[in-house]
Amino acid sequence: MKEIAIYGKGGIGKSAVAANLSAALAASGLRVLQIGCDPKRDSTRLLTNGRTTVTVLDYIRATSPTDYQIGDVLLSGYKNIGCLEAGGPEPGVGCAGRGIITAFELLDRFRIKDRYDITIYDVLGDVVCGGFAVPIRQGYADAVFLVASGEYMALYAANNILRGVKNYDGGRGRVAGILYNRRGLADEDERMRAFAAAVRLPVAAVIPRSDLFAQAEREKRTLVESGLDAALGGVFGKLARRVAAGMPLFPARPLSDAELERAVLGTEEQAAAPAVRAEKDDRNPPAPVPEGNGPQLYFSKNLARREPLHGCAFNGAVSMAVHLRDAAIIAHAPKSCAYLSYQSMSSAGRRGLFERGALLPVSIAPNFEATDLTEADIIFGGMAALEKKLLAVKKRKPRLIVVISACPPGIIGDDIDELRTLAEPDLPVYTVKTDGNLAGDYLQGMLLCYTSLAGAIIKRGVPPVPDTVNVVFEKVVARNTNGNFALIEGFLGRLGLRVGCRFLCETTVDRLENFLAAPLNLLAYKDYTGLILEDFFRREYGCVFLDKAFPVGLAESKAWLRALAAFFDRAAPAEEIIREYEAGYRREAEALRPVLTGKRLLIITYNHELDWILQTALDVGIDVVKICILNFSQDAGFRTGLAESFPVEENYDREKRAGDIAALAPDILLTNYASSGSSGVAVEDTIPMCPDVGFFSGLAMARRWAALLRLDLEGEWKNDERLFRKHYPR
Amino acid sequence: MTSGYLENITPDSFSGEVFAFEGIERAITLVNGPSGCKFYHSATADFQTIRQPAFDPLAFPDEWFFGQPRVPCTYLDTRDYVYGSRDKLREAARFLRENVSFDLLCVVNSPGAALIGDDLREIAGAAAGKPCVTIESPGFSANIGDGYENAVIRLVQQLGLKKTNIRPGRVNILGLSIFHKYWAGDARELRRLFALSGIEAGCFVCAGCGVDDLRTIPAAALNVVLRPEYGLRSAQRLEEEFGTPFYLCPGPPVGFSATEKMITDLCALLGKNADAFRRASEKARARAFVHIARVHSLTGLPKAALFAVEGDYAEIYAYVSFLVRHFGMVLETASALNPETAVFRDRLKELLTRLKMSGALGRDILDTQGELVFANGNTIAKLKLRGHVFSGIEIALPSLGYLDVLPRTHIGLAGALTLTEQVLNGLMFR
Repeated sequence: MKEIAIYGKGGIGKSAVAANLSAALAASGLRVLQIGCDPKRDSTRLLTNGRTTVTVLDYIRATSPTDYQIGDVLLSGYKNIGCLEAGGPEPGVGCAGRGIITAFELLDRFRIKDRYDITIYDVLGDVVCGGFAVPIRQGYADAVFLVASGEYMALYAANNILRGVKNYDGGRGRVAGILYNRRGLADEDERMRAFAAAVRLPVAAVIPRSDLFAQAEREKRTLVESGLDAALGGVFGKLARRVAAGMPLFPARPLSDAELERAVLGTEEQAAAPAVRAEKDDRNPPAPVPEGNGPQLYFSKNLARREPLHGCAFNGAVSMAVHLRDAAIIAHAPKSCAYLSYQSMSSAGRRGLFERGALLPVSIAPNFEATDLTEADIIFGGMAALEKKLLAVKKRKPRLIVVISACPPGIIGDDIDELRTLAEPDLPVYTVKTDGNLAGDYLQGMLLCYTSLAGAIIKRGVPPVPDTVNVVFEKVVARNTNGNFALIEGFLGRLGLRVGCRFLCETTVDRLENFLAAPLNLLAYKDYTGLILEDFFRREYGCVFLDKAFPVGLAESKAWLRALAAFFDRAAPAEEIIREYEAGYRREAEALRPVLTGKRLLIITYNHELDWILQTALDVGIDVVKICILNFSQDAGFRTGLAESFPVEENYDREKRAGDIAALAPDILLTNYASSGSSGVAVEDTIPMCPDVGFFSGLAMARRWAALLRLDLEGEWKNDERLFRKHYPR
Repeated sequence: MTSGYLENITPDSFSGEVFAFEGIERAITLVNGPSGCKFYHSATADFQTIRQPAFDPLAFPDEWFFGQPRVPCTYLDTRDYVYGSRDKLREAARFLRENVSFDLLCVVNSPGAALIGDDLREIAGAAAGKPCVTIESPGFSANIGDGYENAVIRLVQQLGLKKTNIRPGRVNILGLSIFHKYWAGDARELRRLFALSGIEAGCFVCAGCGVDDLRTIPAAALNVVLRPEYGLRSAQRLEEEFGTPFYLCPGPPVGFSATEKMITDLCALLGKNADAFRRASEKARARAFVHIARVHSLTGLPKAALFAVEGDYAEIYAYVSFLVRHFGMVLETASALNPETAVFRDRLKELLTRLKMSGALGRDILDTQGELVFANGNTIAKLKLRGHVFSGIEIALPSLGYLDVLPRTHIGLAGALTLTEQVLNGLMFR
């Protein structure tokens, strides 16, 4: 037995037991290390005659990793016992379990245990999170003692510890027995005897109740060191000899709650009491339930359907919030969370600059900072770090500040809402409490951000501004967002309309404040999330929306322009645009027909709206043999407004692909991602997840297919896949 | 309006660990955490070490892989943070065992999952049925190099490497990560230079090695630390465990002189002959010379051209040494990433003092007036957004997006020629 964990309920006397055992072991000539694993940090006090040492966690918090010296936290106590305290946060903040893990890592780094013959871990046992279980993991304690009195709650805690040990050990024997610390209560011995028998563990030592323990404590010594009572000291001496010699170890056999009650209290499990109907009492009536359905909650598809979460709400919220260009966004997060978000935001900016020379301010330089939470912040609570960052950002006088939280601060209980009090009349502070993915997936974060910021910022009662529209729910990470907006803005301009607020895309706080000035709102995407947003604006603000999303393809473009023109009474310019574009479309479609008529099209896709492709396919004479819709985290339900019917299979099973290709013999296979291997289909092409808007979206694809069919060539590179397999390991 | 807030956010130890493991062939890095922690890592690892020809998400099931080819995850959610990740972790390991061919499973807790305290090794190791290496504490905002070294040290510990007979003339490479922009070209160039000098290239630790290569680490006569931030601690640990001495490069060998020093030092230490290498170096210098001379004769450049560098201290040291000493360029800004890592800080300061360019250290790179800026794609893009007129030369990830089909390098003789080419092209406008 080289490493021994001593577990017990808080206040049961386990630190006194552990210290006396350490003292007895040291007195027998062994080199002993005692590690206190309790945020109370008083495990080793009796071994050091009351001298206190800086705890490992306080040390880590205050010291640079490059300056760590084990001597700074290791105190030499009675008979050179090494004394260490892991320490921990104040009650109610941070994460004490994480603290234990961190402290142990530092001790491992210094290989401190190698210097001693035996290590005693004194562990708070009624905390059951993984951190406090570290001493009973592999590589740490090879034996476990349970300290308990004969009180029911002490035995209950001991039983819980056995459950923890069993979780790690299965049937392996690692429990050395119970250290019975008597309280002197009636029937205590019987309860202990019954418990020990039920869990089939020996009572390894009986420690009588004695005021001499308290007297020794007043002298800041262990009873063993004090020599106040040879017989009492002998209890620990005998235990130390047995420990040194090696004791038999037993598997943990915890009891169920009912078994425990039966064994210890002799009571049978009570059937659950029936609910008692309360007599009506008018003296303290509950607050009246508000009329209506209360605040409306909006859930992403992943959350609503309990699907695996795609991405995290923190990233979704941050990625939208940065589009308030004059706000400052603070991520309350470790650096990694902020970095991952930053990369997803900035990749389109870098690529846009590289390929097109475009300078996209939000992507390239998001107004985004992080608290960079450290290990110490996580253990002791990160609110101080957040306050510091918030005060620093305030000095730069942004228009407003938005704080968004990642999962580590959410898990340790940091409440970012508390810092809303740092707002000033001309510098609001808003929070979006995503807590990483605790609030949900990426889309849920978007929704939280959208609805929170809209609710906080949009002003009611602003005077209307005629001939203005807002654009809602552009997909800001798509590469064609700005191109699509430019085309739409061009159409709007020809109708004499202008854009008020792009919600939320490269906009400002002022524009968002005046969102309600626009008489009409244009939804860019009418998918699952887009519809939720539309519903939000209708319910909360009575906003009016055009009933069509940004148009993709000929039919949608015509319908969209006509609907918009009808709202603003601008029919003439709209028809002029339609005539101009449709003529071009018809001309080109006719030119493509000789090549494409009669060709068979198979579509396997995540896209749930395909009319823009299907309409063009029909216009050029293509035969649509099947549409296979894959489940997609961001959308639900295949939709078509076309009169023609096509074979459609939703929730398509990818395993069917090869069979369908063989059975349907398509000439054109459309997917979202092309396979490098040959499928035997003459034309394989990809559908963009976010297609370009406008009249020619479908036609541009048909143009490609015609070119590929004329070429009738796969490209020699496709023959080289076998070489890749040969020369590149997976 | 936003200019006051611009700060370049750099990756931390969590990414360092994931990228270390992703640099091992036929290893799977399983992130025990939310899917939000895997997307970037999968995309970057896939970009840096291509292992499959297509992106078809149908080939990579939503559960665990989320349609991406690399870095599966356990997609933890609220419930798992409360009740633990054991079930999902076991299920994921079992899925991988039954559906993917691999030699090593590496499990890394996400920062959030690190708070649960689950025993990864006990849970995943048993279910994977293959060697398993785990990192339960990925670090919170710790340095990326620290994370990388944590992973290497865990590999040494958990793979149970044993002391073995030393093979004279064999070296391992430490401190090269797939997160380094040109890692593949760097490795290729080092192998070429070692071959010229009769040095046996051993394990390129976590940079394209396999599990069998890792097991040969103790057989090397010498460990070569390419970048101290990524390899010094591992080298010290290996010296402690196996008695293997190490050679610490003065920063990555950028430029002719640094490369010559490294190879001649190694040859001296290993008893090898550097003559063939010297001949190759002379030819490379000659080739660089003629191009520099022609530009110089027209414009007087590159002498006295102002430049800025952003990187770790050792990286700055290496680039500045070459650019100042070889071209006679003038350092205008040296911006240290991860300045909390003290390794090489003093050496860099000494160098800058000797060069009378101390004032450059600590200047904000976003305020630089340099004509050439050596930095990552984000910094180059930000400077472009600010309207600064310069030529950006990428030395680190993230990239602006250029796809290198032919592996490039900035180290060794090939790297010196590449940099010469980039410097001259960046100054031709004047």
